[in-house]
Amino acid sequence: MSHPAQISFARLEEIVGAPHVLTSPQDLDLRRVDGISPSVVAQPADAAQVAEVLRFARAEKRSVIPCGGCSKLGIGSPPSRYDIALDLSRLNRVMAYDPQDLTLGVEPGMRIEELLRVLAEQKQFLPMVVPFLERATIGGIVAANSSSPLRHAYGGIRDFCLGMEFVTGEGIQAKSGGRVVKNVTGYDLHKLLIGSLGTLGVITRVNFRTFPLLPAQRTFVAAFSAAAPAFEFCGAISRSPLSPQMVEIADPGAADVIFSSGGQSQTEPRKWAVLVSAAGLPEVVDRYARELGHMAAAANADELAPLGDSEGPDVLARIREFPRMILEAVPSAAIFRIGVLPAAMAGLLGELAAVAAAGGVDLISMTRASGIMYTAILPKEGEQAVVALLTKAVQEVFRACGKPEINASAMLEWCRPEVKSAAGGVWGPPRPDFGLMRRVKNSFDPNGVLSPGRFAGGI
Amino acid sequence: MNPQLIRDLIALLGPKAVLSSPEDLMLYEYDGSVELGSPKCVVFPSSAREVSEIVRLANRYEVPLLGRGAGTGLSGGAIARDGGMVVAFSRMNRILEIDAANMRAVVQPGVVNLDLSRAVDHLGLYFAPDPSSQKACTIGGNVSENSGGPHTLAYGVTTNHVTGLELVLPDGEIVRTGGKNLETSGYDLNGLFVGSEGTLALVTEITVRLTRKAEAVKTLLAVYDTIDDTTESVFEITVRAITPAACEMLDGFTLRAVEDYVHAGFPKDCAAVLLIEVEGLSEAVEAQAAAITEVCKLHRAREVRVARDDRERALLWKGRKEAFGALGRISPMYYVQDGVIPRTRLPETLRRIAEIAAKYELQIGNIFHAGDGNLHPLILFDERDRAQFDRVVAAGGEIMRHCVDVGGALTGEHGIGMEKNELMSLIFSPEDLALMARVRAAFNPEGRLNPGKVLPLGKGCGEIRIPHIPASAATPA
Repeated sequence: MSHPAQISFARLEEIVGAPHVLTSPQDLDLRRVDGISPSVVAQPADAAQVAEVLRFARAEKRSVIPCGGCSKLGIGSPPSRYDIALDLSRLNRVMAYDPQDLTLGVEPGMRIEELLRVLAEQKQFLPMVVPFLERATIGGIVAANSSSPLRHAYGGIRDFCLGMEFVTGEGIQAKSGGRVVKNVTGYDLHKLLIGSLGTLGVITRVNFRTFPLLPAQRTFVAAFSAAAPAFEFCGAISRSPLSPQMVEIADPGAADVIFSSGGQSQTEPRKWAVLVSAAGLPEVVDRYARELGHMAAAANADELAPLGDSEGPDVLARIREFPRMILEAVPSAAIFRIGVLPAAMAGLLGELAAVAAAGGVDLISMTRASGIMYTAILPKEGEQAVVALLTKAVQEVFRACGKPEINASAMLEWCRPEVKSAAGGVWGPPRPDFGLMRRVKNSFDPNGVLSPGRFAGGI
Repeated sequence: MNPQLIRDLIALLGPKAVLSSPEDLMLYEYDGSVELGSPKCVVFPSSAREVSEIVRLANRYEVPLLGRGAGTGLSGGAIARDGGMVVAFSRMNRILEIDAANMRAVVQPGVVNLDLSRAVDHLGLYFAPDPSSQKACTIGGNVSENSGGPHTLAYGVTTNHVTGLELVLPDGEIVRTGGKNLETSGYDLNGLFVGSEGTLALVTEITVRLTRKAEAVKTLLAVYDTIDDTTESVFEITVRAITPAACEMLDGFTLRAVEDYVHAGFPKDCAAVLLIEVEGLSEAVEAQAAAITEVCKLHRAREVRVARDDRERALLWKGRKEAFGALGRISPMYYVQDGVIPRTRLPETLRRIAEIAAKYELQIGNIFHAGDGNLHPLILFDERDRAQFDRVVAAGGEIMRHCVDVGGALTGEHGIGMEKNELMSLIFSPEDLALMARVRAAFNPEGRLNPGKVLPLGKGCGEIRIPHIPASAATPA
């Protein structure tokens, strides 16, 4: 929707300073969402300016999409309106870091790569090993609830985020939680902002608990000739006393992505790979080596080998960057993020194989054994009606996830805007709790200033 | 209460599921806190459908209502502050499903916390949140209060273990949030509802994660001659990034009461002990126990004892978990707080508590989750001594303000309830509280569900509410 009157850039300049109101085509293009460009970019310096911009937007009936590294703006439904890009890059400070207490407060515009460097100086880290690592900012990672392979050991962001400060769609500065590691004081409103894609509030500070870096780490790779033994191996790990840092199951297509930089010949028999990371004292890591060896042998693995020091970091980086690797190789790919139970994973992969066989597309999947699957739909080379094929396949994947025996929760994280609309949305079939989400949205942003239209249920 | 409402409830639930005589209602006047409030009736639904019908009746007759599990809560969450109706979940106490392959269980809200762990013990699994009252408290109550326990240091609190809820909203709608999956798309509604202290919805079914039992466990008892050495040890364990599964502190005063009651083997002549548990692979447990022993010795622990077997281990934990009860034997009343501080502030905080005790001439025991900075100062008092009681209120307020001043929180696991809601403004701005109130109103617009809890009413602003009630009231679990 366009407004007859121009946005008052002068007013924005008063709020954030003239150098921080951007209108050049490059600046607007960088912050495009599903092909829609904002009219202006505002770069506030602090939470008070964020609040003022939002009050201005509300009064002027303008919509605002917060952004930072702009690596994940494609996630979500296309916005119904988009006037102002609120660039939080200037809010990029560590506000409080108490290494002895293992707690941290940080602004949203800080890049995760830089934060991890700060923490590493104290031999600590955050288990947010996420895609677009060198660009992604804390605010974006939290708002998109980016998934990390380390979720297996440390849980998701909701499990180590202690509190937040944020600005609501009405321009009100608010907070919840705190900065201590255990706290039930008041409603956990900050949990709602995790994964909210900027539809509830603009995050201005996040408090986390931090974790000590562990002395030794090794990643083991088990190769299997089929899915069934690979999942048998994962089941054995889950029933064992081992608690790995990461357990990732790569189907043959995903294994090609993470073990090569592309262009590997497809003539060899294609293998499934399970990657398991162990960390802790050297004797603990040795124990993993022994036990994983037994379990892999019992599950008829072709082999189990530790990743070498030379290839290890690259392989782990490709696991982390899996969606991005796919998108860079195949820009038209559609990538799902699917919450799925361990016992349903093999069944879902079988359903997905059937979708691929019927649909003229390739499907490849990376699965976090704790319960998150990334499935990419890739149009086959030379296919003409790419949008039609992708659309059909997307609908089939949603249908497969909805089968009662699978009961997975799918969200289409990455795809071209044409497919988003043709497939009937990225959020899957309506769920009964969408109505509750609408109530939450109305409490935080009654006028629909923030990221309108991008969220589940048309929020 | 409107007699027609009682008749309608009986028609809905049957006569045995509705209590309304004064002598029956007396049992539901209190919980584990020092609060009191009389409901006008108590109902015992058997299903979400019945809960929904009850809620609709409450709306029709404009009667406040609230949920109740075992009534072990420590902040008055299950107290009928404005009278009305208590919805007791004791009949909804079935474990509906144990899904070992996916490490989930689906339970009704009235299932007792420890009963779930017992039901999955043969699978090598358990439910990780372990409040001291776990023999009695219910999972529905744990969800409402976002309960913790000693082992939450390593495993997290209730919210970290809930993946799905079935709720009855204050308009009677039955709705599900989340499910068995680790993630469902959309807002994290489970994260909002868990810990909302029964003010947003009634919980009728819970899907929880189960946790694999550790291969090896070691329980250490470190004995100290000064409080400072004890707290410095906790500080150093945190700083060295040793992460025990639990790290509990009991001061000498508390220990002596516990020892007389439980005979756990605590030395009665010391200043304090740490009860530390390490869990995991046997190799890691050995190394961690050695590292912890080294730290404790460095800070002048006069003895670091490792429990020899499960029996000794269980006895030490019995001493910890029944400590509140033990103090109930030596004092007519006590008031327990639940403040949280950054862990690095522990030594100065314990000194501050001792100063406050001296200043107000009160006996304050300390038995708490030291590893995550979650204090439980226990202020002993005699109800009949009004002047002393006023000093208890003042001392409690000073301890709480100290927690806030060092960057802490009002409550780590007991909840705000009706005890600390007037203190919320110490932590939260009027804007923060207005947003919380708006979220509450989005679900509970008439304020009919559990009124007078969590958010301040604006009465007695900035004060802890410790009611002056008869000394016969029960002692917390």
